Amino acid sequence: MDRRDFIAFLGAAMAWPSAAFAQDSAKVYRIFWVSTDSQPDPFLAGFREGLRARGYIEGKNVTFELHYAPGNPQALREVVSELRRGNIDLAVSSGPATRAMTAVTDVPVLFALSGDPVELGIVNSLGEPGGNFTGSTFLSLELAGKRVELLKEAVPTVRRLAVFSNTLHPGEQSEWRATSEAARALGIETVYVPFAGKNELDKGLAAAGDARADALLVFPDVLTMVHRAKIADFAIAHRLPSIFGWGEYCDAGGLLSYGANQRATYFWLATYADRILRGEKPANLPVFQPTKFELVVNLRTAERLGIDLDKSSILFRANRVIE
Amino acid sequence: MTRPRRSLFIKYFVTLFVAVVTPLMLGSATEAWFAFRDNRLDLNELLQVEARSAADRIQAFTDGIRDQLGWVVQFPWTQGEDERRRIDGLRLLQQVPAIVSLSMVDPSGTERVFVSRVSMNRTGRGADLSTDPAVVGARANRVWYGPVHYQRDSEPYMRIAVAGNRAAAGVVVADINLKLIWDIIAAIKIGDTGHALIVDDTGRLVAHPDISLVLRSGAGAGDFDSLKSVVSAANGSAVATTGEDGKPVVALSVRAPNVGWTVIAELPVREAFESIRAALWRSLVLIAIGIVFAFVLAYWRACRMWGPIRQLEAGVERIGMGQFDHRVTIESGDELQQLAIRFNQMAEELGASQQKSERINRLKQFLAPQVAELVEHSDQRLLDAQRREVVAIFGDLRGFTAFTARARPDAILAVLRQYYEAVGAVTARHEATLIRFAGDGVMVLVNAPVACANPAHRGIRLAIDMQAAVQSLAGAWNADGCAIGFGVGVAMGPATVGTLGYQGRLDYTAIGNVVNLASRLCSLADDGQILVDPVVTEHVRDSVALASIGERAIKGYDHALEVFAVVRKYAPIRHFDHPFHPANVRPAAAACAGSAPKLAPADAG
Repeated sequence: MDRRDFIAFLGAAMAWPSAAFAQDSAKVYRIFWVSTDSQPDPFLAGFREGLRARGYIEGKNVTFELHYAPGNPQALREVVSELRRGNIDLAVSSGPATRAMTAVTDVPVLFALSGDPVELGIVNSLGEPGGNFTGSTFLSLELAGKRVELLKEAVPTVRRLAVFSNTLHPGEQSEWRATSEAARALGIETVYVPFAGKNELDKGLAAAGDARADALLVFPDVLTMVHRAKIADFAIAHRLPSIFGWGEYCDAGGLLSYGANQRATYFWLATYADRILRGEKPANLPVFQPTKFELVVNLRTAERLGIDLDKSSILFRANRVIE
Repeated sequence: MTRPRRSLFIKYFVTLFVAVVTPLMLGSATEAWFAFRDNRLDLNELLQVEARSAADRIQAFTDGIRDQLGWVVQFPWTQGEDERRRIDGLRLLQQVPAIVSLSMVDPSGTERVFVSRVSMNRTGRGADLSTDPAVVGARANRVWYGPVHYQRDSEPYMRIAVAGNRAAAGVVVADINLKLIWDIIAAIKIGDTGHALIVDDTGRLVAHPDISLVLRSGAGAGDFDSLKSVVSAANGSAVATTGEDGKPVVALSVRAPNVGWTVIAELPVREAFESIRAALWRSLVLIAIGIVFAFVLAYWRACRMWGPIRQLEAGVERIGMGQFDHRVTIESGDELQQLAIRFNQMAEELGASQQKSERINRLKQFLAPQVAELVEHSDQRLLDAQRREVVAIFGDLRGFTAFTARARPDAILAVLRQYYEAVGAVTARHEATLIRFAGDGVMVLVNAPVACANPAHRGIRLAIDMQAAVQSLAGAWNADGCAIGFGVGVAMGPATVGTLGYQGRLDYTAIGNVVNLASRLCSLADDGQILVDPVVTEHVRDSVALASIGERAIKGYDHALEVFAVVRKYAPIRHFDHPFHPANVRPAAAACAGSAPKLAPADAG
């Protein structure tokens, strides 16, 4: 065995160490960023940060081409045909924009999806995407019920919950269904407060204020994310305990948030982007699901709302407490 | 010319190559073999430590979860404490990030509390789990580790169930997200490029530093299974095999006993044997340098050889062309220099020998070959001008002029050729010096340049033989109808002898009265007659019969000189068939006299 090993080893030893980096340093990668949300885009920022951490420098070896069609996936059809023509290395679609991208077959597409990519038909399975799509799914629907439960845990007196939802955000309807089911199971009445995009935001808030609700649940999406301070201030002004999807809302004054760490997710997407640009096939990169869910509590807001959280299990369960 | 030189270079190169490279290669191979063996042992140890450490950490991970779960099954179930249990469960979730959900089962096997990170929590009487393998297993062994299952065929999960030490404490079943082992596995670095991985009993990957391999729905599970079986077969010692990425690796496996997983520690062969590899490359570079060295050295040595060889070649060529003064200069201080010295000596000797043979050839013009050799091998000054006592002999054909007027040219030449041959042969026999032929005349010298005993005697013998030889020829000629006779004059006296000539054409000649005298005597002689002067007569009187024919006036002499004739023992042949008229004799004598100055240039002066 020794001799056979020795000979095998000799063969391996004599091989000149081949250049390990397949990455062409001179090449400038073109990344298409496709979104149905609007700018400013915190996800894009997270993704860019992730790429920077991987050693990509924008303008030097990577360029972004941003395509936004707020609330209008149909408008992205043109983008898709442009994508087919152009010499694009990678497309990244966040959220519902992914639906518009299903026609793309020859360019790797990374997605960050709240829904199920298998259902959407862009991957064969989470483990083996098998096509040109891969990315991350947030499990938002499952967490929708969990948020109602946590709100009830923090404020057991909640009876009527206003659900604030951007109707331009696709998938909003299923999220609303999951939320209302969970609320019903917990004995909470729900008031659906829809609004359509940025222009209706203020109107929507006014409607929420008139809903005679004693708590507010806001679906996570880019629009509410961008206007999180306004929404949080509105909730405090109307003495409404609020729960959101991501920790950033709490930083802006929201009471509670529960969800996957967005920054971690986009960092992970950047890792996949790096691997794809280095030549790996999206077909072999499993769709990633977040493992860690963050519960963030803003104690200052609780204090302003006069809510005593010491008695509930919320505080010891919180991953982060803002004091 | 080029090929032999190249072959000289190749010979040098092969010799040096063998001398330099073979020991290097042997040394490298031996060194590699021993280094390989040592390295194998070290490697075994390193991988063992790392795999053991990984297995320990996995064990610590599962043991930690087991211990934490033990907290919630310490007290027996009582009525109405679901809320407290729920809080316990939530606190446990907070404490152990890997736990995704918890089911707390009461002694009857009913789920009472369910808490989850993702799904909605439940309290109160739930599903009957008394037949759930987790509950059954935990009740039997207190701790139960479930098989790895993959949620949506992607994320690895595992259930762990722990029972309290009394049945009344119930059972807790936890769903563990094994993705969190990734932190442990990813943290294990073996060398710079090595890693550890975990494979479960079915051969499916549980943990790998590249988590996407784990999430890949079991794609490539066959590879991991075969890797596991190959590595496990080695029973805890390292084996060289092919890693999951198709590159050669050295791997070693250790079992994590409680969960039944196999921990495989891998180190790419490239890194594992880096030190030997470096040594081998060093050896290769050395061998390459050795080859270059052998090449350069061989070239240099060959060049050192070519120079002298080319010189010698050129030398041989020039010597071949007759440039005997050419010399080869080689200062190599070795055998080649010796060869060059010998070569120069040879050239010198060749030159000397050539000069000598040239001289001999020249001498042979007028000396008998043996005399010529003698002259050559004795004193060179023999040919120098000197005054000495010589015997001059002149011979001349009678009736030749008349013959030439009648005869065909080829007949004339044939006669002359026979005549010259006969005279030459006689001269050679007597070791006399044949000065030259001139038409039908001939001049022979005795005692110069080679001295001899009793020259007069030898001269007279020569004259007699010459007369006899020519007479026998003349007999044949006369038979053919040509009336040709032969007269000879012999005289002795001092003469100046030496070589004389112009532009490479050299003749040996004698100058003095004696020459003229011999010439006159020849003119006076009748056919078949040998006329001798008094000096010779004086010397040979005892042995040769001579008869005085009276005094004759000789041109150049103030008074008449007594002339003797050799007494003939035979009668002239021509008298038998063709009367020799005096009238015929005169013109012949005149012709002989006319030719005399040609023979003796001194006569003209």
